[in-house]
Amino acid sequence: MSSIAPLSVSTRHAALTLKQAHVRWLLALAVACGAIIVFFPFFWMAITSLKTAPEIQRVPLQITPDNWLNFSNYVEVLNRQHFLRSLLNSTLVASVAAVSSVVVSSLAGFGFAKYRFPGRDVFFLAVIGILMVPFQSVVVPLYVWMNDLGLLDTYAGIVAPDLVSVFGVFLMRQAIEVIPNDYIDAARIDGGSELGIFFSVVLPSVKPAIATLLIIKFMWSWNEFFWPMVVTTSPEMKVVTVALMSFTNMYYIEYNLLTAAAVLSVLPILVIFVVLQRWVVQAVVMSGLKG
Amino acid sequence: MKPGARWVSGILAVVAMVAMAMPGAAIAQQKKLVLWTHWDQNPEFNKWYETKGKEFAKKSGYEVEVVTVPYQGYEAKYLAALMAKNAAPDIFMGQTHQWCGQYDFCDKMPDDLAKTIDQNLPKYMVDIGKWKGVRYGIPIEHGNFQQMYINVDMFKKAGLNPDDAPTKFTGDWLADMKKLTIPDPKGGEPTQVGFAIRSKGAPVGITDKFLPFAHAWGARMLSPNLDKATGYANSPEMVAALTFFGDLVNKDKVASLAFGNPEDAFGQKRAAVIFRESWFFGWLKKNAPDVNFKVYALPCEKTCPGAGALFPWTDLVYKNSSNKQAAWEFMRFISNAKDDMDHHQLQGILPVWTSNLDSDYVKSRPDYQSTKAMLAQQVPPTYFHPKSNELATAFGEAVVGVLFGKGQPKPLLDEAAAKMDRILTD
Amino acid sequence: MRAWYRLVFPKNYLDRRMRAGFLFVLPALLFFGFVYLLPLAQSVMYSFYKIAPGGAREFAGLGRYQKVLTDPTFWSAVGNTVHLLLLSVPVTVVCALAVALGLNRIASLKWRNLWASMYFLPFATSLVAAALIWQWIYEPVYGFLNYALSYIGVPPQKWLQSLTQVLPSIAVVSVWVRIGFDTMIFLAALQTIPGEYYEAARMDGASAWQRLRYITLPMLNAQIIMVCILELIFNFKVFDQVYATTQGGPAGASQTIIMLLYDTAFKYFRFGDASVMAVFVFVTLMAITLLQWRFLRKPVEY
Repeated sequence: MSSIAPLSVSTRHAALTLKQAHVRWLLALAVACGAIIVFFPFFWMAITSLKTAPEIQRVPLQITPDNWLNFSNYVEVLNRQHFLRSLLNSTLVASVAAVSSVVVSSLAGFGFAKYRFPGRDVFFLAVIGILMVPFQSVVVPLYVWMNDLGLLDTYAGIVAPDLVSVFGVFLMRQAIEVIPNDYIDAARIDGGSELGIFFSVVLPSVKPAIATLLIIKFMWSWNEFFWPMVVTTSPEMKVVTVALMSFTNMYYIEYNLLTAAAVLSVLPILVIFVVLQRWVVQAVVMSGLKG
Repeated sequence: MKPGARWVSGILAVVAMVAMAMPGAAIAQQKKLVLWTHWDQNPEFNKWYETKGKEFAKKSGYEVEVVTVPYQGYEAKYLAALMAKNAAPDIFMGQTHQWCGQYDFCDKMPDDLAKTIDQNLPKYMVDIGKWKGVRYGIPIEHGNFQQMYINVDMFKKAGLNPDDAPTKFTGDWLADMKKLTIPDPKGGEPTQVGFAIRSKGAPVGITDKFLPFAHAWGARMLSPNLDKATGYANSPEMVAALTFFGDLVNKDKVASLAFGNPEDAFGQKRAAVIFRESWFFGWLKKNAPDVNFKVYALPCEKTCPGAGALFPWTDLVYKNSSNKQAAWEFMRFISNAKDDMDHHQLQGILPVWTSNLDSDYVKSRPDYQSTKAMLAQQVPPTYFHPKSNELATAFGEAVVGVLFGKGQPKPLLDEAAAKMDRILTD
Repeated sequence: MRAWYRLVFPKNYLDRRMRAGFLFVLPALLFFGFVYLLPLAQSVMYSFYKIAPGGAREFAGLGRYQKVLTDPTFWSAVGNTVHLLLLSVPVTVVCALAVALGLNRIASLKWRNLWASMYFLPFATSLVAAALIWQWIYEPVYGFLNYALSYIGVPPQKWLQSLTQVLPSIAVVSVWVRIGFDTMIFLAALQTIPGEYYEAARMDGASAWQRLRYITLPMLNAQIIMVCILELIFNFKVFDQVYATTQGGPAGASQTIIMLLYDTAFKYFRFGDASVMAVFVFVTLMAITLLQWRFLRKPVEY
């Protein structure tokens, strides 16, 4: 027990609340500082995108651009690459990957978490094992396989290896594991089918996890470079990460254009994140209301 | 879910499914030759193939489609496509000794075209595009060898004559470097160095930048047959060259490891001299337009470094392409002096054919005299071996080791030579 | 055997339930099998072959394994990778936990969303673009970090150019990239811990530290394990950041296993050896994961 002298209950309460408020404030400050530090490279990226190439090279280091309204880099990025099309491609691919992952992963997570069947643990390890294989060693056979299926240079080809998320299976398994077995048994007694139980009991209980998976998988897919680069050839099929790389080459990096393109590629994510965050909040609030 | 959300997600699902089912690019009726390149920095050069292809289509019915692949990861993409056969390009830009030597992906060039090419290349380039004496590819890059760029203003400020460039490494060159270096009075890193040295990045690149020094001392990385490293990579001449190179940083202190990217250092006027290929002045114009520079041939020591490069780029034709004949026809179509001139001039790079090397365009370039001087020098050793990447990496580890003070030149070179021999015999 | 038979031909209610469980898992299994099985098998097969110049394959048995596993460059890369792991993983997990706990305490949702978005943003950026920006920040002469440090009197450091500082510098980038991911997971999990547990503990007079130790951490145990396993796997396979910034330099001090694998496969054209490295990575990661799974899981009663 702490060494607080025996004051009256209300005073002790007040003292604790004040201390709690201080702690809370300090915590908030620490979190905010951390966030600003983490955000700093983006700020740097955004600033650099407003500078011309000679400005970037300038020594001693100059933080602010000469002209805050210098959008010439953005114009050139849009001219050189079908950047808007790339953004669309990335959005499409990432959305499909995210939705598909959520569906398949939550089903699989349910199966792994709440059922026993022969080979369950082996299968689970096999699924996790996919993550442990370095993609670089699989890429050539995978490409040949995709070629045999006729999926090269198509959206389906880009998204194919990404349709189910190993991490998603892992996450949903964890999330579903904590659902009390009584709830499930109760639903069974009520005469629900297994699939019905999935929709009526399991899904509502794991909304935060689903939202998390949706967001994470979207970002992950958005960020993929190697496979989309290998599997696409037409300029219209490029995703954002590949389009970004055209501002680097074997000799040098065009920092002014690269940063402008990078800023353009992050903006949609920001928008989506803000929108989806609201849904996360909604989901969490709703699940909090449940008894 | 609220009904509105259900509608939205339903529509999105349909859109997604339709998009997934879409073929990626429009299925063209026009016959095409597909050309892959990773030269992101030369977009006009790449586009010219397509423009020329439209002309070519009038005679042959084949247009040309150029696909630019990101440089990072291009080997993986090439390999995957070339192994998948029907997904492969008809023409691709790469290093001959890799795709034709290590792998068997290249089609042998028809004799008439090979003869034309052989007759019109500068003598140091004749071996580029050949593997075991057989020609497979057309070199596309001239000027892919290092030359000496000096900062005129910094030379003047140090009391040196920028029109009289140094010519001997251990003689006037080193002396000039010392004059151009401004050391830090407190003993830290200099504020200005004479020489912008390449010390970061993959060892292959570092080897590439060190080789002129090695060649100037008369050393070579491998035996003339490219089958042995010991006795060559660790020869006394090589040790001397590497000692000199390492001393630039560690003893004479005219170069510094803390200066990061050498191109940036030169562009920021913190280094007075850099050895770079001919693409560099294009970069300077864009990124450091206020640098007043001049280009000279590299200094010599026992011999002159000459025009040499580790990574020569050539256009190759895929062996299993169903459009092979048309591809070679296209190559014939563009293999003439005028097209060579137009092609390279459009991008601002040096043409390849010797007959073009005295044209007005080339005469107007800042590296005209220096290129002539370099071409007049002896042709340096070449290392067009399929395992050149791995060999150069192993060698580069010795160079980097010396620069970073991890060891002395002789033992590090001995180790590297042994490693290179193991690679050669594996 | 009998269990499998009953899976396909269920005899009773329990069997049918068993089959239902299997069917839930089936789509995922089918997907992975369809997409990855063939390429994986081929990749493993390559590890028993040597690609001779000219492209021909010759069977080499365990020869490639012997060559790769006795190569000092390989073990140096393993050493660098482990070093990087030991720097990145604990920092990432602890920081993510701390940030999630902090975010959870913020009452105002608007602020919480703002800070959370900022932590998550690095995850949304192309790894290559981010690495290039960080390279710029780490630049010894004109990078921002040395510039900022000069204001508090720290002399300019070499960071990515220094043999000793390069791995910690890369670790910072790795932490920066991944912290948002783990924070999200922890945050989502924290929000499912019923408030009553904390109320009860507070009434019993438990301090914040005790609440953390006896309620929060055990309830998060499953997530912590998962995050540790995932971070281990991802940091073991680190590639993009290192490739974009140092390319394994200086002097091989930052060359990781996957970088060596990539170079071996695509720059040295030694596919068989690259496959050996892939098998090594897989076996190592599987072994470590199994160990973590076995020894760190604690059952929690509900």
